[in-house]
Amino acid sequence: MSKLQSQKDYEDFRDQVKKERDPERLLVSICAGSGCGAYGTEEVREALEQEVSKNGLKQKVEVKVTGCHGFCEQGPIMVIHPQGIFYPKVKPADIPEIVAETIVKGEVIKGKLYKDPVSKKRIQKEEDIPFYKGQHRIVFGNNGMIDPAKIDDYIAVDGYSALVKVLFSMSPEEVISAIKESGLRGRGAGGFPTGIKWETCRKAHGDIRYVMCNADEGDPGAYMDRSLLEGNPQSVLEGMIIGAYAIGSHDGFIYVRNEYPLAVKNIGIAIKQAEEYGLLGKNILGSGFDFTVKISRGGGAFICGESTALMRSLEGQVGRPRAKYVHTVDKGYRDSPSTLNNVETWANVPVIINKGAEWYASLGTERSKGTKVFSLVGKVRNTGLVEVPMGASLRTIIFDIGGGIPKKRKFKAVQTGGPSGGCIPEDLLDLPVDYQRLAEVGSIMGSGGMIVMDQDTCMVDVARYFLDFLQEESCGQCVPCREGIKRLLEILTDICAGNGKEGDIELLEELAGTVSKLSLCALGGTAPNPVLSTIRYFRKEYEAHIYDKKCPSGVCKELFYYEIDEKKCNGCHVCFLRCPQEAISGEKKKPHTIDQEKCIKCSICYESCKVDAVAIK
Amino acid sequence: MVTFTLNGRQVEAEEGSTILEVAETYNVKIPTLCNHKALEPAGLCRLCTVEVYDGRRTRFVTSCNYPVWGGMEVKTDSEDVIRHRKMIVELLLARCPNNEFVKGLAAEFGIEATRFKLEEDDCVLCGLCVRMCAERMGVSAISMTGRGTDIRVETPFQIKSDACQVCGACESVCPTGRIDVREIAKYEPRPLLSDWEVGLQERGAAYMPFPQAVPLAAVIDGEACAHVRTGNCGVCREFCEAGAIDLDMKEEIIEVEVGSIILATGYDLMDPSPMKQYGYGVYPNVFTSLEFERLSNATGPTGGVILIRDENGELTVPPKSVAILHCIGSRDVNHHEYCSRVCCMYALKYGHLIKEKVGHETKVYNFYIDLRCFGKGYEEFYRRLQEEGITFIRGKAAEITDQAITPEEEGKLVVIGEDTLLGKRLRVPVDAVILCMAMEARSDALDVGRIFGVSQGADGFFLEEHPKLGPLNTATDGVFIAGACQGPKDIPDAVSQASGAAAKSLALATLGKVLVPSTISWIDPNICAGCQTCIGLCPYTAIEFDARRGVSVVNEALCKGCGSCAGFCPSGAAQVRHFNQKQIFAELDGVMDAISAVGI
Repeated sequence: MSKLQSQKDYEDFRDQVKKERDPERLLVSICAGSGCGAYGTEEVREALEQEVSKNGLKQKVEVKVTGCHGFCEQGPIMVIHPQGIFYPKVKPADIPEIVAETIVKGEVIKGKLYKDPVSKKRIQKEEDIPFYKGQHRIVFGNNGMIDPAKIDDYIAVDGYSALVKVLFSMSPEEVISAIKESGLRGRGAGGFPTGIKWETCRKAHGDIRYVMCNADEGDPGAYMDRSLLEGNPQSVLEGMIIGAYAIGSHDGFIYVRNEYPLAVKNIGIAIKQAEEYGLLGKNILGSGFDFTVKISRGGGAFICGESTALMRSLEGQVGRPRAKYVHTVDKGYRDSPSTLNNVETWANVPVIINKGAEWYASLGTERSKGTKVFSLVGKVRNTGLVEVPMGASLRTIIFDIGGGIPKKRKFKAVQTGGPSGGCIPEDLLDLPVDYQRLAEVGSIMGSGGMIVMDQDTCMVDVARYFLDFLQEESCGQCVPCREGIKRLLEILTDICAGNGKEGDIELLEELAGTVSKLSLCALGGTAPNPVLSTIRYFRKEYEAHIYDKKCPSGVCKELFYYEIDEKKCNGCHVCFLRCPQEAISGEKKKPHTIDQEKCIKCSICYESCKVDAVAIK
Repeated sequence: MVTFTLNGRQVEAEEGSTILEVAETYNVKIPTLCNHKALEPAGLCRLCTVEVYDGRRTRFVTSCNYPVWGGMEVKTDSEDVIRHRKMIVELLLARCPNNEFVKGLAAEFGIEATRFKLEEDDCVLCGLCVRMCAERMGVSAISMTGRGTDIRVETPFQIKSDACQVCGACESVCPTGRIDVREIAKYEPRPLLSDWEVGLQERGAAYMPFPQAVPLAAVIDGEACAHVRTGNCGVCREFCEAGAIDLDMKEEIIEVEVGSIILATGYDLMDPSPMKQYGYGVYPNVFTSLEFERLSNATGPTGGVILIRDENGELTVPPKSVAILHCIGSRDVNHHEYCSRVCCMYALKYGHLIKEKVGHETKVYNFYIDLRCFGKGYEEFYRRLQEEGITFIRGKAAEITDQAITPEEEGKLVVIGEDTLLGKRLRVPVDAVILCMAMEARSDALDVGRIFGVSQGADGFFLEEHPKLGPLNTATDGVFIAGACQGPKDIPDAVSQASGAAAKSLALATLGKVLVPSTISWIDPNICAGCQTCIGLCPYTAIEFDARRGVSVVNEALCKGCGSCAGFCPSGAAQVRHFNQKQIFAELDGVMDAISAVGI
């Protein structure tokens, strides 16, 4: 492949790639995202390729291994085009039947289709599944069509057309004003308006400017950046090149954690291919604009996702934040003006350029535009990556797209924004999700983590869990964060262990105030959110722990015990058989009892009782 | 310049300065912990947090590194600020509840107890040590390692650092006293000892030479100064408000033309270490006379309180008994045969001081050969001390030991000697011993003598021209000697001699010219072969070699006409004026003529 040297070269090549793709051709797309990969995509692909060549269908069928489709709960996912037949949870053993029936005969195997847990109906097409139906996938939509190792796939869906548009018909100022008008805000956590960031960086004094991509996604349970880098790295790269052009930068970095090996690999391939095509490097598409990108692999510290810590880490120093009274757009990496945006933000850029700022600004709420990808996890039926317009309500996300809470349990709270986010209770479920609203209720958007909790979740324990994470991940430099989080955790641990005392809640609130107001960086600034939001919405649970020495959710082992309700117990003997401690006694068909001395509160009896006779006391 | 509001008051400040700097100039006090004049502000302790209102919202920022801008409203002591600061201090107190510095800090903030569980730590992790080592010393021997609650100050891999230059800067900035350079450095730190305090006290690389130094200005020890050695540090510049420190100063040689020179180079105190029998350097409480002088001096290391060393080597304990050993190294055929002249009297003074300062119950034993109280009022002083109850034992002490043979001697130094008046051997247990060391010529007297053309006597002291007629003069005209460089003497004698030497110099200066004898040498340049033999022979260094002409030349101002050169000159070029061969032969002729005329 020789380099593309002009706009015409690109357009000719794109048209040629598109022409070669027959829309009626059989295409089997298998998701190889992190979720599906873990479920066994590789085995499925091998079985499929074997089966295809056994049947002599190699010329007829194209097998494409793609990035994340988002519906991770149902992995490995297989979609057969052009019909768009969606098979979830495919196992290698299913392959012969799928090949024989669907690929050869074109018939749908009903038994293998997705069954909606709410309506109990089988659904054939991807787009009809409620999980996808409620979404608006402008960033993630192409993942299913693209083999991340093939730049041609990206070009076939009009990839790099935004770059061409920018390079040949827009001035850097026009690009910046387009981004400003679109209302795009940083998708990392801060939510700073991207256009203003770019503009400040462009105007900052300095000869060298840097553009960086923050792929140090550290929130537990959040993996949209990972999925984007793994599934559609070229879109991130295109966004970065456009950003560099707008800012006037010629050097870029992608700071990605080494714990994402596939992301590191795929973005590496993407850079190499883009360079081969003349879309990256010197004199991009003959426009005279130069831009190179290097990959820097991080060690996985949570704090290295903070901009100043990330830049220090890039410089080869210990990743610890500094005060941001002088912004990184003025003095960042090596004291030069630097623009850092996260993966999702960069991936939004080509979309805005292609579809126009006005279109983009029409999505979302007044001050939060576009879409946001959430990683919906926890006690929810459909876990996975969900892209919705800003302003979609929590109820839509959790119940319509997420399918609600499994096992007939009751919804209790949703935690947004990663470890330093807050917990939002049931009566705020209709809250439209955007930056302002989340902040108003004591949480944050963060990078889009969303953990759903049901009635069996103890909110004190949740706060304790997140503070434990933050204590370990705090850089430890400043007193309020290092000492404060430690003490918050200490008090919470005491409360969970039944050693809470009067005044603890007030002390937590007072200390949390200092930690959030005085900490050096945003980690400490947001760290008390889990405590403050749970106190705000679930104060009664705290009081139960402290004054009644009870954990109503049955999580804090020192503060509850299981008891079998004689009236409800039908003597099915299941708990008796499953109890690892042999703490349950009773004859069949007669009420059973638990020996409290032996019970270790492992909850197996509670989980396995069909008649809800095991109660938390 | 920018204008903003500081606690409701309009203030002006340079652009780029921080709130803390501006507050300081307006005498607004903001507490700090991790801030240091010599270091870049880091904003880690958050104690200097203030409230900034930007027109829209109030923010809490650290004043140490927040740059001022026009129109901002700063409150340094709002209720919120104080409440948050108190919480910070309370957290630190919980971390280091037993640390004196942190306790003091808590007391300043009115915090008596913390509501959190107590830990046992001594480090507040202010990072001053680490930043000092990195920013100013350029070494980074220590750094903050770990993350979160595991963060701590350490050397790489917790191995004692050989990068550490043992400068101790980390120790000096540590507020809590946690940092010990011994735990960091691979090499043992060597304390810089004060010369003036004869090693009884440590000093910094920058120090005042002594309390009455003229000029009273600090000096920097180039061998110890980290800046001189490595080009880093230079922290003293930040602290000197007068801006008096010039670290680029170089030593210079100043040539001054003078008419006369007075040598007053003083003496050395004999080093007692080789005299093993007295245990100096082995037993901590054996002092030299000069050390004791500092111990009893009001400007000394103990502030004039006479204290001896405890088991840790610190000067803390008042002695209950002291032995003063006279004539150590003096009047001793093994060392110096001469009497050092001053020891008897200062030994008496010490006895008096001990009685007066430590208490009259303190026992003082003088081991002497003779008491030479020869000066005005000296004998009377001796008598007075006898009345004060000081014990005088005639007999030089032979040995000092810590080997006790009776219970009274346990833990004491035992002076072994003989009372020659009683003819009885003695063992005297004491707490401390003072050795009255001999005064001796300075170790560099030979070199100094060569430079100035002054010779030394058998005892090593400079030799005067004549013990009775020329006690201030030397063999070289215009060079005089004064004080102990000429021989052991006490202060009144030294002052008298110095006055005399000064008068001699002045006499020369007043005259404005020098009388030289007419009978001096002369080297005939037409004959001189330039062998330079005469130059080595001349006791007055009066002959120089003129390299251009290749001949030796006599300096007429220096030549005394001794004739050494003339007697030896192989070519006969050197002659003594008025005593040349012709004249001598003519004289002889005359004598012979007279004899023959008389007819003998």
